[in-house]
Amino acid sequence: MFKLKAAVAAAAALTLAVAGCSGDKSDGGTTKGNAGNSSITIFNGSTGTIVENWNPFSPTLLQPTQGLIYETLYWFNFAKESEPTPMLGTAYSWDKTGKVLTITTRDGVTWSDGQPFTAKDVAFTFDLVKRTPAINASGLKLVSSVAKDDKTAVLTFEVPSFTAEAAVIANTPIVAEHVWSKIDDPAKTINPTPVGTGPYKLKTFSAQSYVMEKNPNYWQSGKPQIQNVRYVALATADAATAALTAGQVDWMSAFLPGLEQLLKNQKNLTYVNTPAMTTSVFTCAGAELGCKGPQTDPAVRQAIYYALNRDQLNKLAGGGFAETASPTLLLPERDKKWIADPANATTPGAPDVAKANQILDAAGWVKGGDGIRAKGGEKLSMTIQTVTGWSDYISLNDAMKQELKEVGIEIKPTQLSWNEWNNNQVQGKFQLSLDSIGLGASTNPYFTYLKYTTVTTAKVGESAQNSGNYSRYKNPKVDAAIAAATNTNDEAAQKAQYAIVQQEIVKDLPYIPIYVNSMLTEFSTANAVGWPSNENKYALPASWKSWDNGVVLSNLQPAK
Amino acid sequence: MRYLLRKLGFYLVALWAALTVNFFVPRLMPGDPVDILLSKLGQRGPVTPEMRASTEALLGTSSGKPLWSQYLEYLGNLAHGDLGVSVTFFPASVGSIIEQTLPWTIGLIGLATVISFLVGVGLGTAAGWKRGSWLDNLIPVTTMFQSVPYFWLALILLFLFGSTWPLFPLNGGYDVYSVEPGWSLDFIGSVIYYGALPALTIILSSVGGWMLGMRNMMVSTLSEDYMVTAEAKGLRPGRIMRRYAARNAILPSVSGFAISLGFVVAGSIVTEAVFSYPGIGSALLQAVGGNDYALMQGIFLVITLSVLGANLLVDLLYSVIDPRTRARA
Repeated sequence: MFKLKAAVAAAAALTLAVAGCSGDKSDGGTTKGNAGNSSITIFNGSTGTIVENWNPFSPTLLQPTQGLIYETLYWFNFAKESEPTPMLGTAYSWDKTGKVLTITTRDGVTWSDGQPFTAKDVAFTFDLVKRTPAINASGLKLVSSVAKDDKTAVLTFEVPSFTAEAAVIANTPIVAEHVWSKIDDPAKTINPTPVGTGPYKLKTFSAQSYVMEKNPNYWQSGKPQIQNVRYVALATADAATAALTAGQVDWMSAFLPGLEQLLKNQKNLTYVNTPAMTTSVFTCAGAELGCKGPQTDPAVRQAIYYALNRDQLNKLAGGGFAETASPTLLLPERDKKWIADPANATTPGAPDVAKANQILDAAGWVKGGDGIRAKGGEKLSMTIQTVTGWSDYISLNDAMKQELKEVGIEIKPTQLSWNEWNNNQVQGKFQLSLDSIGLGASTNPYFTYLKYTTVTTAKVGESAQNSGNYSRYKNPKVDAAIAAATNTNDEAAQKAQYAIVQQEIVKDLPYIPIYVNSMLTEFSTANAVGWPSNENKYALPASWKSWDNGVVLSNLQPAK
Repeated sequence: MRYLLRKLGFYLVALWAALTVNFFVPRLMPGDPVDILLSKLGQRGPVTPEMRASTEALLGTSSGKPLWSQYLEYLGNLAHGDLGVSVTFFPASVGSIIEQTLPWTIGLIGLATVISFLVGVGLGTAAGWKRGSWLDNLIPVTTMFQSVPYFWLALILLFLFGSTWPLFPLNGGYDVYSVEPGWSLDFIGSVIYYGALPALTIILSSVGGWMLGMRNMMVSTLSEDYMVTAEAKGLRPGRIMRRYAARNAILPSVSGFAISLGFVVAGSIVTEAVFSYPGIGSALLQAVGGNDYALMQGIFLVITLSVLGANLLVDLLYSVIDPRTRARA
């Protein structure tokens, strides 16, 4: 016993001595403690073998490419209502028609190879996108992209493109002309030696882990302070939990069952919860486009909406971490200014069984001997699909089954492989499906409401557009309102159109919101401090979120 | 010579049949690689409607070619050694991913299989030679390990020696925090340390079979007349055990070993999933998750070739060590 204590004391003394040494070596000033060799480890959800790809335009890129190496003109914070943050751009303006966008770029920025960054690089980037359809992921309809001088780039579009604003300023990585003009096929290069403007650059790569190191010439002076950032691959949630509690990972995002219990005795570990995706029952609603089943009756969808006991669902399936959703499918807190009618701000927490029964009675669904309703020989019975292994969604289904039975609705949960589940949704081959409505290109409701338009759907059996209208919902009023909203940059005019959309979808409910699902991110303060917190959501902290990663890492300081 | 040609011909037909199955099975699975890639992207951030066109342009998958012409194209490319481009790891080629992952699998599972065979056969020989000794009593214990589902055994050992008493690392192929990959002592040591627990689970769960088979063959061989002759000639017991008994008793085990060698690649999936090991099994799991036809076919091809190759080798080897098999050639 005594020996052990002595050893611990010796080790502690040694650590102090080492820390003291490195403290002495750093040249005082702004850097604190062990800034010189500070290092953190991130798990961003990658599993198995890591394959090198630093091409910021590639769909299979390594996630830190966007945000750590390459930057955009502006950056949107999804965690709260906020204005776009200037990054490589400092100002932008549209002409009245929405066809010409003028961008002013930042002075004093250099590429990580030392060359200066100018508006010519911005013009080159968009010209590259225009010339290469395979990397034009946002489908920008560009006519030309030119630099008027070193600080001004002008983009001209074929059509009014207000809605492309987020894609242009916040989702297009700006690349260096002197590097990319020499690349033959910008869609297929893996860009092995990336040159960016971001806070980090590539240090070492292996198939199981890679390390990024601080860009000493980063334009935000004094940032970043963490010297090395390591990304690792882990196979399962269990492996991730073990790595987190063992101190092998400093930052990860995962729903860990029993999180509070897990973190109780870990003084360095904290978490932050930033719910942003609305878990909803997707219904195949459009009978005109080929949907079949009782859920094509709006009364059934409304009855489900009222019959759900959301407080109970949160407790049983959401671990108590979920937040209240809105029937407008926006986020009640962040998107407050976009919700026209305050009555539609939030979903009820408790069930209204009487109202659900009344709606179903009025629509002619009559309870049979087995307690299940029927109409014209059709039983009020539907299957609901989710993915094998999504444990919280599986418990959601089981709990909803009980709750809906009380009003005479039968749902039969099924579990499918991710591929089959996804294929069913894309092609409309389902009755009910559990999924979440996620992040758009910006916090403008336009990107959520596209899901309700016929522009993004197709007949059952054909693929709808991704993240599009899987419900096959068809409503001319909604289509017209969204079309009108795209033609203006005026927030008041957009609000008026979205109010029409909200009125319709609250009534029709093609996607029935359950709750805003938790997005849990776990941090360790052992090696770095300054993480986003519930009080200070300066970025969406999920470790897999592109662009936001760079912002978070720029704001960290080494732990003392 | 005719024996050899006939064998080779048979293996060629088997190879063609396997390639054909490889081609068709993945295409019968639900889902389109473009849909899957886009939906996965959609979980991370915005996916615009226009992205489908750009992704199709990128992957070159929008071809409405009939299946048979795709099949011919596939065979043609294979003949040139071109396995295609992976969708999951685009734009990496299937060949490069196999090249990256296969050594890990062969190193871990291959070595573990060989070790388990050698240990099992050695112990089995000794147990058969001295029936009723303590080694004989070990057999029920080892067969118990074999009858336990492998992943369960692996999880228990992982829990005990990874979490409860952290003797071994929980996952990975080497210590990514402090070691650089390369031919250095540090790296090799780290790889052995990280591979020890997975290898141990494989050996534990398969050694019983080898041991039991070898022991029983020894017992029946020992009752043959030529054994009595050998003893009557006054040969040393060690020589009788090795040259007379074990050499004959091992024959069935050798063919069993060939088959198990062939399944090294296929059998790695569970091990690699449990231990997050970076081999070809993990790559296959990812390929299936992403409907990555090219990668799946590439890995199936490796599995096919290794099974067929190992069998061919043993067929040929067998005709050397047991001349009876080629008597009618």
